[in-house]
Amino acid sequence: MDWNPLGYKNLYRELFRKHLQRQEELLKKGNKTAWFFSFAPSELIYVFDIVPAYPEQYSAYCASRGSSLDLIDESISSGYGHFLCDYFKTTVGSIISPEKATKPLMPPPDFIVDTRALCVAHHEMSEVFARKFGIPKYTVNYPYWTEDSVRNVDELTKEAEWVDPYYVSYTVSQLKGLVRFLENVCGEGLDEERFRKVFEISEKTSKLLIEIARLMMSRPTPGSQREIADLVFLGFFVLGSEYALEFAEKAYSTIKERVKKKEGVSNEKIRLLTFGIMPWHSLALYEYCEMKGMNFPLNLYVNASLHLSDSSKPFESMVRRSLHFTNCSYDLLECILKNAKRAEIDGALLLENTGCRITSMITRPIADILNENLGVPSLILEAPQCDPRVMNIERAKTQIEAFAESLM
Amino acid sequence: MVEELIEELYRNYLTKSYLRGYKMDGRLVIGTLCNTVPEEAIHSCGAIPSRLIGSSNTPSKIPSWVCIYAKGVFESAIRGEFDYITGIVSSTSDDTKIHLYSAMLFYLKPERHYLIQLPYQKDGDAEEFYKNEILRLCKKLTGSDLSEDKLNKSISIYNRFREFLFELDSMRGEEKPKISGVEWMKILLSSTAMLKEEINKYLLKIVEEAKDRDGVGDYRMRVHLSGNDFFNIELIETMESMGFAIVSDDFCTAGGYYPGFAGKSLDGLVRRYLSQSACNLASENSLKERIEFIESKVSSSNADGIVILRDRGCEVCGHQCPFIMEEFRDIPTIVLDVDSGVTEQYQTRLEAFIEAYGD
Repeated sequence: MDWNPLGYKNLYRELFRKHLQRQEELLKKGNKTAWFFSFAPSELIYVFDIVPAYPEQYSAYCASRGSSLDLIDESISSGYGHFLCDYFKTTVGSIISPEKATKPLMPPPDFIVDTRALCVAHHEMSEVFARKFGIPKYTVNYPYWTEDSVRNVDELTKEAEWVDPYYVSYTVSQLKGLVRFLENVCGEGLDEERFRKVFEISEKTSKLLIEIARLMMSRPTPGSQREIADLVFLGFFVLGSEYALEFAEKAYSTIKERVKKKEGVSNEKIRLLTFGIMPWHSLALYEYCEMKGMNFPLNLYVNASLHLSDSSKPFESMVRRSLHFTNCSYDLLECILKNAKRAEIDGALLLENTGCRITSMITRPIADILNENLGVPSLILEAPQCDPRVMNIERAKTQIEAFAESLM
Repeated sequence: MVEELIEELYRNYLTKSYLRGYKMDGRLVIGTLCNTVPEEAIHSCGAIPSRLIGSSNTPSKIPSWVCIYAKGVFESAIRGEFDYITGIVSSTSDDTKIHLYSAMLFYLKPERHYLIQLPYQKDGDAEEFYKNEILRLCKKLTGSDLSEDKLNKSISIYNRFREFLFELDSMRGEEKPKISGVEWMKILLSSTAMLKEEINKYLLKIVEEAKDRDGVGDYRMRVHLSGNDFFNIELIETMESMGFAIVSDDFCTAGGYYPGFAGKSLDGLVRRYLSQSACNLASENSLKERIEFIESKVSSSNADGIVILRDRGCEVCGHQCPFIMEEFRDIPTIVLDVDSGVTEQYQTRLEAFIEAYGD
């Protein structure tokens, strides 16, 4: 057995088909288009029948299709900084020179929603895009959680032993402000029944996605990161959709069956934790590792995209979404240790995404905490998510192989 | 005499003699990472807020491509250069500042620390939220509640400090500037290394004596410097030696640091910090506000050109630079990437710039 993925490819194909079909139908009806970023309260897209587009997902698509290089260069030659988020550079490049961008382009937005649930960069991007299109935007300012505001967060569900109600209340008030903004720009009031149903779907889907992540920690590792990595699309962007729930049900059943049979993605020799935004231009690297027996039962980046949605407390759920460890101060990093132990990892492959301050500045503390608490060593690779020029794939393979040898 | 006073201040900045003295006297010195931190509140608690400026540029624990400011502060911190601080305070103004704060907590474990959650909106809710953040900050740092009386005294001291800086900054904009770019930067850097009531004594003398100066009239071009957490005196010296008169700037370590007086009381302080727009990303319309701020500085100083000192690792510069260039397209503008820190590399371009647009 060389490589035996779960076979989610067809499920993703169906998911994207339904997503694009919805988009097309709503565009024809003349519904409003908006751009959203990861960690935004994406359920509201389905409550208000918005046509969503996601600069991060579109940029990842451009990276996998090879156009991101030209778009990044276009951005830099237009005066934007070298060391900004690849998603920003790719998207702004596609606005400046759409002829160089992979088709279909994102539909132009009527408005933009940004949050600081992950980074200020989302807010910066939103400001640039809104200015370029001359459209309104709304910002939800989530806290950056510290020991003063939160205690003992579960790395997967984002449930916490304690969250300061003061910050929850402030964030909820901003989310309610977002609802009012959406009512205004979409020209319709909040449909309470719809709101309730969307969050019921979100809750069911979120539970299944969390279970998939848990099952991935089984021995042998049941799936490939080539297919698990795309779960972020569900976690970040389409959690409130029926097609996400359909996907999650089938995906969960597949992985559960595999774990029951104790089948792995490959002949497992080493178990690695991975973190960092996936290098979308070089996802084959994961397949390469897995074929050599280096499996990834734990992907902290994917886990960050997940949270347990609670339909009985929808606004609090939208706040909980921001309780991922990348939005918490590093003294709270110990929350990653529980799953690192459970996954019985031998080492960690950490990706420093050039231009992303969030994932890059936290990589060394992650390496240090894994080493100090579990004696687990890490390999840190520079891997911008959309620019393959900085990440020489052959060099990366050599480094990973040498690292793996040191672990065996 | 002005020169001597400024050099005395600057020597103190380099040696941190005042800060070390405060620590020896048992006082809390709190390192701050951003000019959005309300220093008056920390000051009113009996602590000494000191904006941290690092001296190193060789990163070991943070990525090599982040901004010069963050690399400098962090590396200096882990080398123990900030042994006089007891705590750290930052705000959620930008990603680097947030994660720099986090990294310092993780690796240095300061005794006291607080991260101010900065509201982006500027409405009544935001004011109330920010007010509570300040109250929490004081409680966390000292264990005591903020005293309105003490706060008002601190606000007065800081407002006096801002008045002095306003006067000195205005002197830079005169036809014959009475304060050079190097002197201005040295004063501002020095202000991070001592209590404001102490530096106010120096500033009183400097302002009075500078008024009697003849000023410098033999420059070739008046320029505004634009950037962020900038503190490279060597580069400013080089520019002035080439014939540039540095008549204004919008650095958040200098010209962007001091504007805006706080009204009395906590409400007044809140309004001052929420209306600050020099380089603050954490605002609904930060780009618009920043461009307006630069426009006001360029206009009041009669600058003939703009030199944008762009730190390639700075997210603020990275996003805003094209819009600033576009907005000021009718004014001669040059962009220099300042991440190398080697001033010789900029000379050729600056020479070409002054040849093209200077007298």
